Amino acid sequence: MAGKIYSKPIAFSIAATLAVLAGSIAMMAYPMLRAEMHPKVEGLAPLTALELAGRAIYQREGCVNCHTQTVRPLQSEVVRYKGNRAAEPSGRYSLAGEFAYDHPFLWGSKRTGPDLAFEGWLKSAAWHHAHFEDPQAVVPRSNMPAYAFLKAAAVDGDDIGAHMRTLRRLGVPYTDADLAGAAAALQGKTEMDAIVAYMLSLGKAVDRGGKGGLELDLEEKNPLAADTAAIAKGRQLFDAQGCGACHGDEAHGQEGVAPSLVDDEFLGEKGDLPDAAYFGMIKGGSDVKKQLGRPGLADGGMQPFGSELSDEDIWSIVAWLRNQKGHEAAEPPHEEAAEHGNR
Amino acid sequence: MNEYRYDHRTVQGFILSAIFWGVVGIVIGLLISVQMWLPAANFPPYLTFGRLRPVHTNGLAFGLGVGAIFGLSYWIVMRLCKRPLLFPRLARVQLWLFNAGIALAAISLMAGHTQSLEYAELEWPLDVAIVVLWVMFAVNVFGTVLKRREEQMYVSLWYVIATVIAVAVLYLVNNLALPVSLTKSYPVFAGVNSANVQWWYGHNAVGFVFTTPILAMFYYFLPKATGLPIWSHRLSIVAFWSLVFAYLWTGAHHLVYTPLPDWIQTLAIVFTLFLIAPSWGSVVNGYYTVGQDWSKMRSNYLTKFFILGITFYGLQTVQGPTQALRVVSQLIHFTDWVPGHVHMGTMGWVTMVITASVYYVIPKIYGTEIHSVKLANVHFWLVLVGQLLFSITMWITGIRQGWMWKATDAQGKLVYRNFVDTVAGNYPYWQTRTLAGIVFTVGMLFFVYNVLMTIRKGRALERQAAPAAPAASVTAA
Repeated sequence: MAGKIYSKPIAFSIAATLAVLAGSIAMMAYPMLRAEMHPKVEGLAPLTALELAGRAIYQREGCVNCHTQTVRPLQSEVVRYKGNRAAEPSGRYSLAGEFAYDHPFLWGSKRTGPDLAFEGWLKSAAWHHAHFEDPQAVVPRSNMPAYAFLKAAAVDGDDIGAHMRTLRRLGVPYTDADLAGAAAALQGKTEMDAIVAYMLSLGKAVDRGGKGGLELDLEEKNPLAADTAAIAKGRQLFDAQGCGACHGDEAHGQEGVAPSLVDDEFLGEKGDLPDAAYFGMIKGGSDVKKQLGRPGLADGGMQPFGSELSDEDIWSIVAWLRNQKGHEAAEPPHEEAAEHGNR
Repeated sequence: MNEYRYDHRTVQGFILSAIFWGVVGIVIGLLISVQMWLPAANFPPYLTFGRLRPVHTNGLAFGLGVGAIFGLSYWIVMRLCKRPLLFPRLARVQLWLFNAGIALAAISLMAGHTQSLEYAELEWPLDVAIVVLWVMFAVNVFGTVLKRREEQMYVSLWYVIATVIAVAVLYLVNNLALPVSLTKSYPVFAGVNSANVQWWYGHNAVGFVFTTPILAMFYYFLPKATGLPIWSHRLSIVAFWSLVFAYLWTGAHHLVYTPLPDWIQTLAIVFTLFLIAPSWGSVVNGYYTVGQDWSKMRSNYLTKFFILGITFYGLQTVQGPTQALRVVSQLIHFTDWVPGHVHMGTMGWVTMVITASVYYVIPKIYGTEIHSVKLANVHFWLVLVGQLLFSITMWITGIRQGWMWKATDAQGKLVYRNFVDTVAGNYPYWQTRTLAGIVFTVGMLFFVYNVLMTIRKGRALERQAAPAAPAASVTAA
């Protein structure tokens, strides 16, 4: 009788073990043997020494407790994380093959802060430095803790070499040169440099940079210049697109994050450029700097908005910025530094 | 006729240790709940949310949960086998190692030593210690069961045995890693595969730490406390085997809409829906058991702990499968809904049953009564109100958050483009959660006080009864 098993502990334990193993084999062990669990996208490269050091810091600080790293194939999520700028439709959300070297995966289970899977395409190094140091100065209502102490800690290059050696034994293709160069690559770097480098590496295995090749005519005039309705709309769009998060609520810029858009400089040099240059930078992002003949900041991280805003929208924003600049010239800037930011 | 001795002191040692780590874990829970709405309450580097959250989860799952499981399982095993533990000294060593392990775990997590795997954060030297602890537990459970003096194994023993086996398999596989140093290792699994292994582990850590051993307590202590036999032995058989079989298939429901292959997600969702049946098998059995005499709810103060506990288990096991559905997952996954769900299980089901079992066991050790039934009732109502306020608040804010993330206008543009809008709107809810946590904590402090006063009373009785025989505390009750 089957009832006998409840007086035979060994037989009972074997039966219980088999019950537990059935699902474990079907759902955990068997999938592991299938190629679909070990995909690799073409552009995938192992993290550099500095990025890997940053990943170890990301783990140490428990960032995974508040940030996810997987953009789900949902329309609202694709739009939020700018996956819609991807060169291939499949790149709009996170792909299994992007994580082949992630020991372990860091997808997380709670999104208290935003997802970071595509972070490498979304923000500049300067933004991250300022944000890690004092998150509320950049995003006023954020609940993120400050990580200013990372600036004071040096990264241990020999240690990261050992990390890379361990990962190589697990199948991550680090070369001898990678291992030998780790210490030198980390010379003089702080933990802050490392975690920012890691942020900028995220999502980079797939091209999500937006459509390049913007044709720019610097002679083109703003069709909406001095149009009051367009100026009001431009102001709205500036707020709605979150431009203030980097450039300040009133476009005065934020030191160390992003420049003022209403002063006499453009891309780090004295002397303003015509409206069409503003139009190009908003539409195409930092890539357009080359066409403007000004290098700007090395870390320039302006995102392209061409896939989200119509040309008319962009001209409206430029009209508002020009109008704003006119006001600035008429009256000196007042105390609103504490008010800037993302709201 | 009972000449053999039960080792009460080890059982009590585990219970007191569990209570100690429980208080630590709950206090840290309060701190991190404040950090959610007050970033200035972070004190980098050691006391930030990112480092403390695993201290909270590990402290309560392994400190309170596993500590109580060790102690109460030993109590159950000894009685159902009608003999003392086969290796009482080993159990004593296990108690000390357990406390040293949890203390080191807390310190190492605050120092940032973590594998970044949820509920498997601890680095490899502590993993080795945990394996040693578990082997000690297994040796004593199996040894005692093999040498038992009662032919039939009661349902609680089945659940204890299943716990020992399943946790061993889960823990060993998910923690496979290659060390870099004493404090850092890289797990052998990568990417999608690593995610699948982790959630096979993560979900079943819930299944075999927060479910099966707690059911063992429920099936043992509910009849003991009420004097009512379990309603259906056959139902408990069906529920046991289907639960133990189905649980292991369901972990991938934590990975809905991730890059994990669809077939694994779908199969996991299907088994998750099936899991309602065995879960409710125990719920029905619990209700019908007390249904033999509902007046026990009034006349026996422990009955309501067990009934409310199994009620939250029942709600939990319907809510969980609902969350696994793709259409629900896309709204509430990654939001505060999930901590709301988890805390209904931990604060409503696990803690209710553990505290009721402790209320039953501690007076029995000393052959006395609980210090105060009135205080136990105050404890009950406070933890009930605290837990409900916590969970309901988190469900509301979770839905709200998920909806704000998804909200788009007619052109397909996001209504709440700035992510921080979806964060800042949570602050009032997160503040309410802290308040709920305080209510719950006060309730738990009533419990701790009541237990300690009972022990004090028991010791005084012992001294009066047998001043010349200090070994009285280990003789059978």
